[in-house]
Amino acid sequence: MRILACLKQVPEKDSRYKIDDTATGIREEDLVFETNESDVYALEEALRLKEKLGGEVVVLSLGEERVLKTIKSGLAMGADSALHLTDPAFRGSDAFVIATSIARAISDQNFDVIFTGVQSEDMAFAQTGTILAQLLGWSHATIVMEVNVSEDGKNARVKRELESNLFEVVEIPLPAVLTIQSGINQPRYATLKGIMQAKKKGIRTLSAQDLGLKNSQLGSMGSVVDHQKMFFPEKKKKTVILEGTPEEAARTLMERLHKERCFSRWPSAERNSLCLARFWF
Amino acid sequence: MPGKILVLAEHRAGKLKSISWEVIGFGQKLAEQLQQELKVVLIGKAIECLADEVSRKCGQKVLTIISDRCEAYTPEAHCQILSQVAQQESPFLFLMGHTYQAVDFAPKLATMLGRGFIPNCVDYQIEAGRLQFVRQVFNGKINLQVGLKGEPPYFVSLQQGAFNAYEVQSRQSPRVVNLTVPLPEEMLKRKVLEIVQAAQGKVDLSQAEIIVAGGRGLASKEKFQIILDLAHTLGAAVGASRPVTDGGWLPKEHQIGSSGQTVTPKLYIACGISGAIQHLVGMMNSSCIVAINKDPNAPIFSVADYGIVGDVFKVVPVLIELAKEIRK
Ligand SMILES: Cc1cc2nc3c(=O)[nH]c(=O)nc-3n(C[C@H](O)[C@H](O)[C@H](O)COP(=O)(O)OP(=O)(O)OC[C@H]3O[C@@H](n4cnc5c(N)ncnc54)[C@H](O)[C@@H]3O)c2cc1C
Ligand SMILES: Nc1ncnc2c1ncn2[C@@H]1O[C@H](COP(=O)(O)O)[C@@H](O)[C@H]1O
Repeated sequence: MRILACLKQVPEKDSRYKIDDTATGIREEDLVFETNESDVYALEEALRLKEKLGGEVVVLSLGEERVLKTIKSGLAMGADSALHLTDPAFRGSDAFVIATSIARAISDQNFDVIFTGVQSEDMAFAQTGTILAQLLGWSHATIVMEVNVSEDGKNARVKRELESNLFEVVEIPLPAVLTIQSGINQPRYATLKGIMQAKKKGIRTLSAQDLGLKNSQLGSMGSVVDHQKMFFPEKKKKTVILEGTPEEAARTLMERLHKERCFSRWPSAERNSLCLARFWF
Repeated sequence: MPGKILVLAEHRAGKLKSISWEVIGFGQKLAEQLQQELKVVLIGKAIECLADEVSRKCGQKVLTIISDRCEAYTPEAHCQILSQVAQQESPFLFLMGHTYQAVDFAPKLATMLGRGFIPNCVDYQIEAGRLQFVRQVFNGKINLQVGLKGEPPYFVSLQQGAFNAYEVQSRQSPRVVNLTVPLPEEMLKRKVLEIVQAAQGKVDLSQAEIIVAGGRGLASKEKFQIILDLAHTLGAAVGASRPVTDGGWLPKEHQIGSSGQTVTPKLYIACGISGAIQHLVGMMNSSCIVAINKDPNAPIFSVADYGIVGDVFKVVPVLIELAKEIRK
């Protein structure tokens, strides 16, 4: 099996953002980056597939120099080699451009399966993997919670998450792109040995030119949607922020819940075994 | 802007999904504003009754594509059908709910037709006659205004709950028209083997009056204990965000959100939960929402009635003590 896992680097979840002067991006100076959450699950699934059927796992990340950290952590987890797609012209690209670039980078590499995350936490397009499958003429399955590849490597039986606690089991022919949902497995941590070995593994760097892509096909020019401007959302609800020390804030909260709102809202009817609140409110 | 808006309506077990009614309602509003025609598209097997019902309720034209091959959803059939519909109807806009199904086929369809797909929109505006959508990026902390690019049709999906203010109006021209699209078997690469309901757990949060919910901010399974303690003293049920159940800190049945339970307690206390949209859709209709989070910009505060900006490990123990006092 030749297996590709796509890793996107995104700002840490607790980040505080500043929108840049063009209002089309964020300022990166003070941000700390990490690997997109569902991509870590995707890589773990890739490594498990290799351990079962043999083969090779390649990780790929598109982005500036900083994404090397993500690539290295993928190699330390156990991937065999890496592709780094990097070019200033990629900035501002939408999912179509990213998928196009990935498709170009791997078109001659005979992968059997590509794993991506369900969605990126920064841009949340939820479509890079599916577009990639379409560009390659492969089948795909999204929001995957279980993967079983047949011994002969011809088919994959996968379980997809649906709404309302429903799941769907489907079979698709390989090669295919699978977009992996968090919770499918428990990702391993890199071991010290893994980190040492990673230093010797190959990282191939490819620019837009190497991929045969012109500037007009990249960034906002090449994008199929028009990202106009970013802004901070307005609050819909008036939130009362309770100030003071944790002690004071907690006390005010209890008083408020008790007096102002919740007391009057607790009907004395219908008892609920889960909920003893009425006894003390 | 003359033209047509098509709404793709999704259904399961003979019923339209609630998100699809939201999309129809919004589609009607938009069609009126842009003076366009609206049609609802339904794909499936044995959906004649459903098509009649939809058409009568909203008084709009419904286009059905009925085939044995559509008994179970596959992306190949959906894309084949909808690209044919696009060719026949030349719509300006294709609207749908941002569902697990839309995520699965819409990017493929848009790419087949050389178009873009704007996912998961929460708002829209018409500026100088130009239609724009707004979607959330960076974990809900930033909004992005997105315009339509290139030639129509444009593909857009709407976030569940974001457009429910647009109620379906009953218009004048109910009519159902069926379209036949050939679907050769070899085209359908994906085989649907079964649809399974996750084992019903013992935890039914839909009836709880108070829910204390914890998120990744609790840091570990061991430290999550204080959420259980607070719930216990308040006589509340315990909820969680997805990372908590993904990580095995709590069983899956406690998960609240788009892939968990939907709850409407009288009081929802969210501790160390950032408020991603997939979590919010499961709890935002609670009567009173309290958020405790160290990040003042966490999106959970946009739906909270009361907020404490602080460390859960400092605030929650005090709440537990106070609750014990009041109970005495
Ligand atoms: C298809 C799909 C379906 C999904 N379904 C669901 C779903 O059903 N339910 C769900 O919840 N999610 C769901 N998600 C995941 C969702 O997108 C978010 O990733 C998730 O809700 C984040 O959980 P969280 O808020 O606990 O974690 P984070 O986003 O990491 O937030 C943790 C928060 O804790 C705060 N914090 C950290 N330490 C402290 C401290 N000491 N004191 C106070 N605050 C602290 C941080 O400031 C932060 O805001 C789904 C995602 C996808 C793509
Ligand atoms: N720049 C990137 N580099 C590597 N993988 C990416 C990149 N962008 C998106 N992906 C992959 O595509 C998935 C879906 O991303 P998105 O379509 O942006 O929501 C991510 O989880 C990654 O696995």
